[in-house]
This record gives sequence, C-alpha cells and structure tokens, in this order.
Amino acid sequence: MVDRLERLTNLVLVLLGDGPPRSLREIADEVPGYPPEGEARRQAFERDKRTLREGGIVVSTAPVSGPDQVGYSIREEDFYLPDLDLDADEQAALNLAVAAVHLGDPSGRDALWRLGLPAPTGARPLAELPHLPALPVLWEALRARAEVRFSYRGQPRRVAPASLRFHGGWWYLVGLDLDKDAARTFRVDRMEGLPVPGAAETGTLPEGFEPTTALAEEPWRIGEGETVHVELLALPEVAGLVEQQLGSAAVRERRRDGAAVLGLEVTNVDALRSWLFELGDHVVVLGPEPVRRSVVEWLESMAGTS
Amino acid sequence: MTTRPDAGQRLRRLLAILSWLARVGRAPVSELSDRFGIRPEDLVADLELAACCGLPPYTPDQLMEIVVDDQEVVANLGEELARPRRLTAAEGFALASAARAILATPGSDPDGAMARALGKLDAALGGAGRLKVELGDAPHLAEVRGAVEDRRQLAVRYYSLSSDEESDRIIDPVSLVSVEGRWYLDAYCHRAGDMRRFRLDRLVSVSETGRPAEDHGPLPEPATEATPAAFVPGPDATVATLAVDAGGTWLVEAVPVLARKDRRDGRTEVELAVASTVWFERLLLRLGPHAEVLRPKALTGAGAEAARRLLERYRAAG
Repeated sequence: MVDRLERLTNLVLVLLGDGPPRSLREIADEVPGYPPEGEARRQAFERDKRTLREGGIVVSTAPVSGPDQVGYSIREEDFYLPDLDLDADEQAALNLAVAAVHLGDPSGRDALWRLGLPAPTGARPLAELPHLPALPVLWEALRARAEVRFSYRGQPRRVAPASLRFHGGWWYLVGLDLDKDAARTFRVDRMEGLPVPGAAETGTLPEGFEPTTALAEEPWRIGEGETVHVELLALPEVAGLVEQQLGSAAVRERRRDGAAVLGLEVTNVDALRSWLFELGDHVVVLGPEPVRRSVVEWLESMAGTS
Repeated sequence: MTTRPDAGQRLRRLLAILSWLARVGRAPVSELSDRFGIRPEDLVADLELAACCGLPPYTPDQLMEIVVDDQEVVANLGEELARPRRLTAAEGFALASAARAILATPGSDPDGAMARALGKLDAALGGAGRLKVELGDAPHLAEVRGAVEDRRQLAVRYYSLSSDEESDRIIDPVSLVSVEGRWYLDAYCHRAGDMRRFRLDRLVSVSETGRPAEDHGPLPEPATEATPAAFVPGPDATVATLAVDAGGTWLVEAVPVLARKDRRDGRTEVELAVASTVWFERLLLRLGPHAEVLRPKALTGAGAEAARRLLERYRAAG
C-alpha cells in the first residue's frame, strides 16, 4: 500500500514535468498507488486534485486526443512565482512582519514556507489585526478587478472593489456599489456570510474613480444615519480623559467643578451609546432631546426589569 | 494522543522542507524540526518517503536525492524546487497586510528593508495601492515610544476601567503594541509588582521620572484590560451566566466566553468570568434590554442597579 503522501508528491512532480498534459490513464501508469481502472481510480484522483487545490496548487485541464479526452498538468506559472530577488535584509524584514504581526491564523507562516524563507522565530507582537475569512476573498477580487456579491444589512450588494483598508480597528471595503452606482464603504466584519467573487475584470472601476468617503476614526461617525450634533456632559473624574479623546476643539464649556460640556457630530447613535457606557456613570447626554430620550429609555427599560 | 496531520498538510510542509533543502543542501535534523514545527521522527519518516519519490520509471537516477541519518539531512534537489512558489489568496493577503502593518507603526523606515521587500512582493502579487493598513494615533504615542526605545522610566496617571479609579504609577516601559486598532503599552508596573498592559487613551498624564527603566529580566505577557483579568478566571472571579437575544450576540465576539449554548427560547446562553463588578456593569449597560443575568443570584440585579445609578445622573444633569 502506497502512503498517500508519496502518491501526492509523485503526482505533483509528474504533473509539473515536461511534456503535454497527461490523461488520467497515463497518470495512473506513471504514479504508483492509484486503484485499478474504474470509478475508484477516478474518485481517488479527484480527491487528490481537491487536496492539491486546498493547498493552493492548481491542476489545469486541457483537451487531449485519445479515449480519455481530458489531460491534466500543473502549469509552471501556476506553481512558481517569479523570483522575488529578496536581499537578506528584505527576507529578514518579511520574517519579522510575520512574527510580529498576529493575524489569527497560520497563513503568514505558510507564505514564508512557500517563498522558501525560514520560519519566523518568536518576537514580541507589534500589532494584532482581526482575522476575518472574507479578507482573502476580497483581496483576490481586488487584484482580479472582479465584482463581489455579499449580503449587508440584509440587502444583497454588488460591488466593484477599489480598496481594502484597516482603520480605527476595523477592516473596510471601499468600492462602487454597482446597483446604486455610488461609492460605498462596508465594514468587512458586518458582511453576512462569505462574499462571492465574480470573474476577473467584471468589477473594473470607471476612469478616475476616487471614493471621497473619508473614514471616521470614531465609532459614532461610522454609519449612514443623519448627522446629529450631540452635547455631552463629562463629569470631573473623566473630563480630562474625554477631552483628550475628542480633542480640545470639542469643548463647549468648562465648568468650575472640573466638568466639561463637549459637542460632537454623530451619525450612529447606537455606537455612541456603547462608547458612553464604557465610561460608566461619568458621562451624560445633554441633547438634543431625541438622543437624550433614547438613552434614558434604554436605561429605563433596564432599570424596570429588576 | 496527538492527531496526525492529514495528507494535504503533510504535503504542504514536505514541499516547504524540500524547497528549503534545495537551497541549503544540508541541514541538521534538529534545526529542520524546529524550523518547520515537526517532530524529528516524523521529519525523518516523511523525508525517507520523499527519497522514494521522483519521476517514472523511478530508477535511482530519477528519484529525489535525499540522504537522511539520525543527525543530518543531505540533499541535492536542483534549482527548480528552490524557486519560490505561488501563494494562496490567504497567504498573499497575510504577508501583504503584515508588512504594511509594520510600516504603519510609528518610527518605521519608509525606505527601509521592509518597504523594499513589500515593493517586490507587490510587484509579484499585484494589488499595490489597494490595500492600506493604518494603526492610527493615540494620546502620548510619540512620548511613550521614545521612552520604550530609550528605556526611560515613566510616571503615569492611569484611569482603570475595571476599578473605575485613577491611579499614579511608576512604570518601566517594555513595548508598544497595537491590538485591533488600539495602542497599548506593556510595562512593568511598580505598584502591581508585575507586568501590566496600559491602554494609551486611558493615560491621563505621562511624565518622565528622570531615571532609566529598570531591567526585570524575561517577563510574561501582561494581563490586559481589553481582556481584563476577567477572562482568565482568577481566584476572585465569579462565573456569570447570561441569556442574550439577537441584539446582544456581539458579546460573544467582543469578549472571550467560557461557554455558550442555544436556548429553546431562541436566545443564547453565555458564561463568562467576572473579576470586576465595574467592568460587568458597563458590559450590561451596553447590552441593555438584550441581556438578562441568569446566575449567580448576587449579579441578577447588577444591570438594573447600574441603570438606576446612571438615570440618577441624568436627573441631576437635566
């Protein structure tokens, strides 16, 4: 019985080898370990192809003459990258990047393996970015200028991607919403399910497309709601901290007891409320009345359910 | 018993090892074992198997030239296998975003080795200019970074979320880290007598003591505030059980939970460790009507209590 790893290794070497694409019959003759002719052989080969694909190795098909009609090969350009010509210090830099930036899965290490670079050694992390399965799909779509389809806030969207951006702790996709014909920004973690990419070049952007959507740093400005001007009262114990976060330009009034009144533009009231509550009972919304009312009602619904 | 990786994972690793051997020619078994995270006996077994692989008719001249003994591997594999291989989408994205994250840390050299490596990577993979990583700014970032680099001791006033107090501390900075978009300082805290992780936007003030930072030897990863003591159930932690509805399931993503299960009423039951009542109350305020504390009895009224206190503030301010 041939170890499956041995069969796979030989399969890769044979398919990468010289000559025209090989039919399944020829492959089974050349690679030991396939069952005798018949459905079992076909299934074993399909399973091997799937394993290779999951490992990032693409097996191409082409018509060939003879009873099998289909031939298989691994094209050189699908298997190898053009040599990156990395100098020693550049190799070390990529190693550092993978060791010091934690992305929540082993893809970085696998990338170094594939480039033939030594595996990373332990280093104190410099940054941790959230891991989202949608990101590689979106990145691939960006590179292929392919449109992507996904569900967002319960609505199906079709988007020509322009850029992926990590900002303020979140990953965003910026692009042209093809149905609304307008630039839109989407939080990647809010996409419902995995996005589905279209074929290459189906998501090309109009000449000069420059999304002007500036991404807001503050969570309460991320949202498509109407802009509301909100006034907050920060009590003395947190006034300094809140001023530091919102900037001194936000201060409307400094009170003698050390409290401060601050103003800010809000497009996402839910996010504002969440941020306020992180500061406990030291910050209070003064107005406008509808926003104040919504916070009070939220609290009343909690206080009443004891 | 450890589970044996499947054939796909073994192939991925074997190709990486062969590629490395094709470059270096020979390497000690122990070094390969460290570098590729594989037990020496598995490494030897996989390489002995690879030595039987090659091209038909599988005569010795067509097999991969690999000689393995207990100590060392010697290989003559030719240039082809040494070539870098195409990356999967996940791998390309990981490398491109990690390199960009390093370039986004303050003080990184925009023309240094990392930038040159990224330029070459982008040229090979495409996608330059379409991927941006910004780690943002934070209060005191430049000052703190200077202190980390020059190993200077700091005196800080820190607002702690879990105790709801400001405190003055003498700290020896060790490193800065950006976690999901927020900057933290890992430092030895003289008050705690241990490593602590400080959120930069909760530093009320920062000044230098005029002394160099003390060296405390190798230090463990600090307990963080974003992952408060709450998440590693310590001796004083209480385990609380909450039922959350659809509007509150973000909780499961936002804080590490000890256990979760679906309930018959459609809500999700979540268990978490609570080391700080202040932290727990604020979490409940954010969850609002979407959560109910089921257990323990001492905490079932915590949300209502916190809401009443905050409503009191609203009355006073109104």
